[in-house]
Amino acid sequence: MMLYLTTFPYQESSCIMGRRDVQIHFLTLLVLYFSVMEERNSTEETPRNNALAQRRSKSYRQSMRSCVEATHLAYTSGLLTALRIPRSRKAPKSCDITKQVDPDQVALLVKKEWQLSYVTPLYQFRHTQLKSYSKQLSAFMVSEKQQGLAIEVGQELGFKVNFSVVLGLAETDKDAETVFIQILSKQVFSAKDDAPKVVWSGWLTCVNGDLDYLRSLPLEFVSLPLFCTRGPESLTVLVKSWFENIFDCCFGPLDINSTNLQWLASLWTGCHPTINIQYLKLVWTLPTLPPMDVTYTVHPQDAWELWDSMRQVDTTEDSISIDEVTGFIKGLQSHFFRHFRIDLSAGSLMQISTALGSSHHSGKIKIASPNYIPTILQLLTECALLKMPI
Amino acid sequence: MELAMAKSSNLTRTDLDSSFESQLSVSSRTSYRSLRLAEKERRKNQTGDPFVLALKYFSEVKAGTPRAGNDILKRNLVLVERVGLSRGMPPEAISVMLDFAMSLRMGGVTSVRVLKFLIPATVVPQEAVVRAVSWLCVGKIAISTQVLFLRWVLTVFDMIDSKDHIRAIYGFIFSFVTEENLSPYICHLLYLLTRRESVQPFRVRKLLDLQTKMGRQPFLLHLLSLYKVFYPKLVTLALPSRMRSGFKIHNSTWKVALCAVQKRNNGQVSSDISLSLGLKDETNSRKRKFHHLELPSLSSSIQSNSSSSRSRKVLSLEQLHSFPHLLDNLHCIELPSQMASLLGSSLALCYLDYVQDDSVFLRLNFWLGHALHEEFLYCSRDGSSGSSSEALHFLNRLLSTQHFLQEGFSSTEGFLYKFLNVWDGSLLRPQILGLLSDIPVVPSSCISQLLFEPLMQLFFTSTLFFKCSVIDCLNNMLLKWLTWHSVYALEDGLDISLNRHTPMNMTLSGFMDSVMELVRFVGRLATMGLQLEGCHSLLLSFILDFYETVCDMFLKYGLPLVVMPPAGVFYPALFSTDPVSVDRLSYIMYRYKKNLTSAKCQQQETKQAFHISRQTCQEFNHYLLFMVNCLWNSKMFLPGMAIEVDQELLVLSKVPEPWTSFDLNHHPAFLGYALDFHHKCWPERKDIDFNSIKAAKPWNWYLEFLFSQGFQGLQQFAQSSINRRSVAGISGQRGSQPTSR
Repeated sequence: MMLYLTTFPYQESSCIMGRRDVQIHFLTLLVLYFSVMEERNSTEETPRNNALAQRRSKSYRQSMRSCVEATHLAYTSGLLTALRIPRSRKAPKSCDITKQVDPDQVALLVKKEWQLSYVTPLYQFRHTQLKSYSKQLSAFMVSEKQQGLAIEVGQELGFKVNFSVVLGLAETDKDAETVFIQILSKQVFSAKDDAPKVVWSGWLTCVNGDLDYLRSLPLEFVSLPLFCTRGPESLTVLVKSWFENIFDCCFGPLDINSTNLQWLASLWTGCHPTINIQYLKLVWTLPTLPPMDVTYTVHPQDAWELWDSMRQVDTTEDSISIDEVTGFIKGLQSHFFRHFRIDLSAGSLMQISTALGSSHHSGKIKIASPNYIPTILQLLTECALLKMPI
Repeated sequence: MELAMAKSSNLTRTDLDSSFESQLSVSSRTSYRSLRLAEKERRKNQTGDPFVLALKYFSEVKAGTPRAGNDILKRNLVLVERVGLSRGMPPEAISVMLDFAMSLRMGGVTSVRVLKFLIPATVVPQEAVVRAVSWLCVGKIAISTQVLFLRWVLTVFDMIDSKDHIRAIYGFIFSFVTEENLSPYICHLLYLLTRRESVQPFRVRKLLDLQTKMGRQPFLLHLLSLYKVFYPKLVTLALPSRMRSGFKIHNSTWKVALCAVQKRNNGQVSSDISLSLGLKDETNSRKRKFHHLELPSLSSSIQSNSSSSRSRKVLSLEQLHSFPHLLDNLHCIELPSQMASLLGSSLALCYLDYVQDDSVFLRLNFWLGHALHEEFLYCSRDGSSGSSSEALHFLNRLLSTQHFLQEGFSSTEGFLYKFLNVWDGSLLRPQILGLLSDIPVVPSSCISQLLFEPLMQLFFTSTLFFKCSVIDCLNNMLLKWLTWHSVYALEDGLDISLNRHTPMNMTLSGFMDSVMELVRFVGRLATMGLQLEGCHSLLLSFILDFYETVCDMFLKYGLPLVVMPPAGVFYPALFSTDPVSVDRLSYIMYRYKKNLTSAKCQQQETKQAFHISRQTCQEFNHYLLFMVNCLWNSKMFLPGMAIEVDQELLVLSKVPEPWTSFDLNHHPAFLGYALDFHHKCWPERKDIDFNSIKAAKPWNWYLEFLFSQGFQGLQQFAQSSINRRSVAGISGQRGSQPTSR
């Protein structure tokens, strides 16, 4: 049974914000979905459970730091370089991406939900060989689909694979150009003249990748750490195994942890003056038994004002610090606590969405507006690079 | 002529007789007779061998000679057949008979019979096979005979002296592939003959055409999969697991005879009759969704098959079959597409050891790091539960690989630094600690953060056995570092000057700093561990193991560094209740002395500034003095000693003569021995007085008695550090002569 609660607009003083003496029109609409029968006041117990659940990721961050420290030393033939978890970022600037990138190609990337993976650097990947890769991959797909039937490479087959370069997404000259892959297939019952349908698409990208890391790689390696896919899982598996085979790389799932979701929420909220984000929706999962999902939707203007109040005056205009982000989320959480006596910080942030895009903890992202593509991709590239084993 | 006829007819008769008889072998008379005949035959060999004559007949006989009722043919055929089946045929005979059979000069039936007894004694000349194939092209031979011939070639393939001429007619042989009945055998033969240069796009297309006609025939697939090995750019194929067993074996007709002949020509290298594919027949019955721990299989890469390497003769690792083969082809080996596949084959690992290319190791490290991270750190969506046996297997393999290569992978190292922070200390403990002991020298600036802090946390919160295994692991780590250093120093001609650059970008002083840090860390661990565990003798034993390594760093490994154990280790070992610990401590002190003395000597000889500090020597002298005074001179707790106890406190304890309580005759560890000695010395005395051992004569006997009980360390210590004269004088002038200063 679902409980549907709506509170009405109300006024609240900014005591939770503490510093600024501004009245904020806050929370025009608040919607709660409870997956449990009754509202539970579980703030007492949850932090304890949560501490256990969080232990892994917390210590992981620690271990990450220790590895970071280790990497200054270059005692393993200069391979390891520092990868730092950023404490501040540039504020997103709306830019017309279509000036740099072919609008048709941009259209392929936006308004679709992509499943994210990370890839270790590709060995001997060449942007000049894309045609031959297309042939190889399509032959590989067919031969894997029809186990035990040898396939000539280059034949016209059931699958057609297109490799193409998306020029212009790379920000620095160390970033490799983005590669877009499409798999087209003729439907079994289609007419002869029907154009083949796109059954799978995916792309490999690197936007503003860590320069030290990219520089430390030998020339034979191309780092395109972020792999976005869309289509049947079985095809994704095949494509991945082909890449692993040919370029001696490894794929792993890329999840977007709470911190990065918070970053995304803040970045997107910060865009509100330029583009109407329409809503800010956050989904938390609380570690109760059974788990409780909380969906929290904030009016865009309120969200923006809270965010603006968090922005520290002394910092330069175009940089955002992690403290501001956590402050923003804390503000949202404490407001929620006032009303429902549920401490959201005990749970984990699973999903956020605005009109600009949405993102899920399990590594799904959808970018709705082309204007902020580079910002989002830079963040995701960072996440992917942090997953690199060396 | 008539005479010859008669002779030969006679020969035929006797031959027939003998063969008949040998088949039956009934009576001794006949066997005697056959022996005699054999003798006769051998004599004939020198003059005019009927076998040679028979061969001559077959080489010269004209086509169309009638077969029916031809006694000469019959006789010669039997003769050759007998030789073939019993001793095997010499190369030239094979050549003649094969040509005779394939030319069909006396009809198909004879040909079949000949083919069936073509057992080579040594080798098969390739020219014979080439000529036979050319007869095949004439196309008059019955299909069944053709099949028989091909089966024969496959059976004796390894005995063909060389194959280059046969490879030269690859195209001709390939043309038979369309013959429906021959195609399985032709494919097999082609499989054996195929080289990189034989793989051509038109051949691939032909085979694929055949595949569409005949369906998924295993023989076609096997040949195609070999083509794929050479040119993955031309053809691609996924072999289902049930098809991975290889070609059928067709040697049934000759198998028994061939084995018999080979056994007879004893000890000859038998041809490997079962020519089978070297494909992995491991059943991939994995149910895991993400199998990052599964090693990829060796397969050649598309990348390196570019035109530049087409001209060069290259060999992919999957074609290697033995170590000598690897050695012969070391210069032209092609790396596989996925470097991780090297981990699965020991031959490939040998090659890896030889490879210098950095990117090879980088690729391997990416894979390995990824596998370790996904399995143990990210624990991605599939969860790592229920696969512990797989993880165990994987880590064991990694360990044995690292031991084989005698170095740790950098990805393992990076992984361990992270993993130590989240490890519970029990998951796969032997493997993790094994990997940990393999890590290369860690710079002293970060060793504490990377290694010591996480280890310390685990150490103090874990069981005794974990503590022991941590100490053991650190001991192994130190041993490996020292070995690495000594090998490296040796390569440089034992030049132990400071600031020399090692391959790891580490100076000697940097290395020494790291070793120093490690030894001090273990000292701290050991001190605390002994306190926590109440000086458990098992833990003490592992700690003493460690100090046995430490005390010999200068003499054994050429590292000019001496670090003394902390008091928290020295005194518990000295006052330990088991004699083994005291004995081992004595041995360690003896080795310390040896190292310090020779270091001192070297210092004086070379006039070099030496980095054994005054303080180390002082520490050593302190320990030495204390040990001698305590064990030999009964001078414990006296003013001016290392351990001073307030006299009033000692009085309060009401222990009579407390300063004697840890000398060798009162030491709790040696109590049993002292008692035993006392009984043996004064069997009549009822009241036991250990002090009586202290008298000059019994004391020396007592020491001898102890040494005879296997306390070698004690003996060596005594011999090196105790002045016998002063020992004799119980009254106790200075018993020891600290020599290292």
